[in-house]
Amino acid sequence: MWADFMKKILEVKNLSVESIEDKKKILENISFDIAEKSIHVLIGPNGSGKSTLAYALIGSSRFKVVSGKIIFQNKDITKLSTDKRAKMGLTLAFQEPAYFEGITVENFLRAGNKNITQSDIEKILSLVDLEPEKFLNREINQGLSGGERKRIEFASVLTMKPKLMILDEPDSGLDIIIYREFYNILENIKKETKASVLLITHREELGYIANQATFLNQGKIIYSGNFRKVMRKYCQFSGRKKICQKINCQMDL
Amino acid sequence: MSKNKLPNGFINSAQKCGLDTILMQKALIPHLYIESNKIISAQKISGLKILTERFQEGVKIKLVVKKGTLIKKPIFFCFGILGEKGKQVILPEIILERGAEAKIFAHCTFPQAKNVSHQMEAKIKLGKNAKLTYQETHYHGENFGTKVLPNLKILIGEAAVLENEFILDQGSVGKLKIILETELEKNAFVEIISKVIGKGKGDDIEIYDKALLKGKNSRSLIKLRGAVVDGGRMFFRGKTEAKAKNARGHIDCREIVVGNSVAESVPIIKVNHPEARITHEASVGKVNQKELETLMTRGLSEKEAIDFIIRGVIK
Repeated sequence: MWADFMKKILEVKNLSVESIEDKKKILENISFDIAEKSIHVLIGPNGSGKSTLAYALIGSSRFKVVSGKIIFQNKDITKLSTDKRAKMGLTLAFQEPAYFEGITVENFLRAGNKNITQSDIEKILSLVDLEPEKFLNREINQGLSGGERKRIEFASVLTMKPKLMILDEPDSGLDIIIYREFYNILENIKKETKASVLLITHREELGYIANQATFLNQGKIIYSGNFRKVMRKYCQFSGRKKICQKINCQMDL
Repeated sequence: MSKNKLPNGFINSAQKCGLDTILMQKALIPHLYIESNKIISAQKISGLKILTERFQEGVKIKLVVKKGTLIKKPIFFCFGILGEKGKQVILPEIILERGAEAKIFAHCTFPQAKNVSHQMEAKIKLGKNAKLTYQETHYHGENFGTKVLPNLKILIGEAAVLENEFILDQGSVGKLKIILETELEKNAFVEIISKVIGKGKGDDIEIYDKALLKGKNSRSLIKLRGAVVDGGRMFFRGKTEAKAKNARGHIDCREIVVGNSVAESVPIIKVNHPEARITHEASVGKVNQKELETLMTRGLSEKEAIDFIIRGVIK
């Protein structure tokens, strides 16, 4: 596989995860790799465990790793806390980002990198298509639209200069015009940063910028590898011919 | 420009609380600085009368802003005890006559306190169309060794405005019991905001804020933002009573509880007129998990993240 020839930034080995709250097993025996400087798409139907996998990777206290390992930059991080993983360069932009009473955009962005310069902050805001002069002093409250909050979440992750960022459905809840803008933002991020990206999405079209993909269903990996091959499996599984035509799968359904 | 005699102990704690200590030290800025029962420095300006009378445990103060006077510069008060032990009683009477306007920045400090008591019995009266902004910051040191008991009775005249803010977010609190009662005439407005962080089991905080909306079209907002960490206790009672046509009031309370601490909020709303309306909202509980997790994914430890969230809420 393509990833086999590349240096790996993340290796997930036989990972099984359960919910702390009800001890329900959500992920079973998950194994896949992410290559350095690549975009890896995680795809699967609702409830397949995509977000849980993201939370497990960042070490969320809501989930427990029952067995298996997470190796990040050749180090076993399975037992490390979320903040320690973040300090190593592994972070997550949440699907539905939190709001913070009394915290301005600038303070929120600085939380992830205390040494960041003002000009870098402004550059990052521009990268996610937000005008610095309009947003730096805005409070992160419900006065922001969903799209604005997601861009700020992106920006906050970017200020950390991460090595691997997980983007959990950055396109969810956005109308078609705005989510197309997110294509551009992702492309910008791909060009401007050297970070790897694990992109969780429902929109198969976003995959055109991806190198690899993993298809998850009912907590298990169906297939992981080249994006088109994964999509072929996904098409077979879901029977969605239109998707296959859109991404030019050339498959016989 | 020459400086006044603000002692270093006051300057240091005022800096901790984010006050403009350069401005506070200017000789010509209107001010009154009292350590224990000693008047260290005082400055009047045209239209502002400050009278003081010392007694064994404290100082009686009368401050009058004369009719129609607009005092553009802030008036600074600094009260406190710089030693480990002592008692201070401050008895202020503040009068803003008809149409007068002023801003008072009060700072109370007990930086070395191990057994210090500070009592205040304040009477404030705002005449018709007067406007007072009163911001009070406190620093009680790090030893949980203070007992601070302010008691304020405030009359807000017709179309007068009071914006009152109390902040104690640095260091320990010790025992704090604030009783603040306001009465509003027609078209008057009051905003009472309290921001307090309790840092440990030696912190015992009680805040009783009251707005009595006597006059028609009078308005009030009582707001608390608080947090108690590691065994502290916080009790808040906000009471608003409306007795007149179109009177409007709102009570808004948010308290964060961390570790083995206790917070309690009791909003009381009473309406005695069919065309009055009072609302309230309150949330008391742990730090929002989503906010915490977000900040930890940005590299903040759990403790740093909680502190960041609390500072935001208090801000």
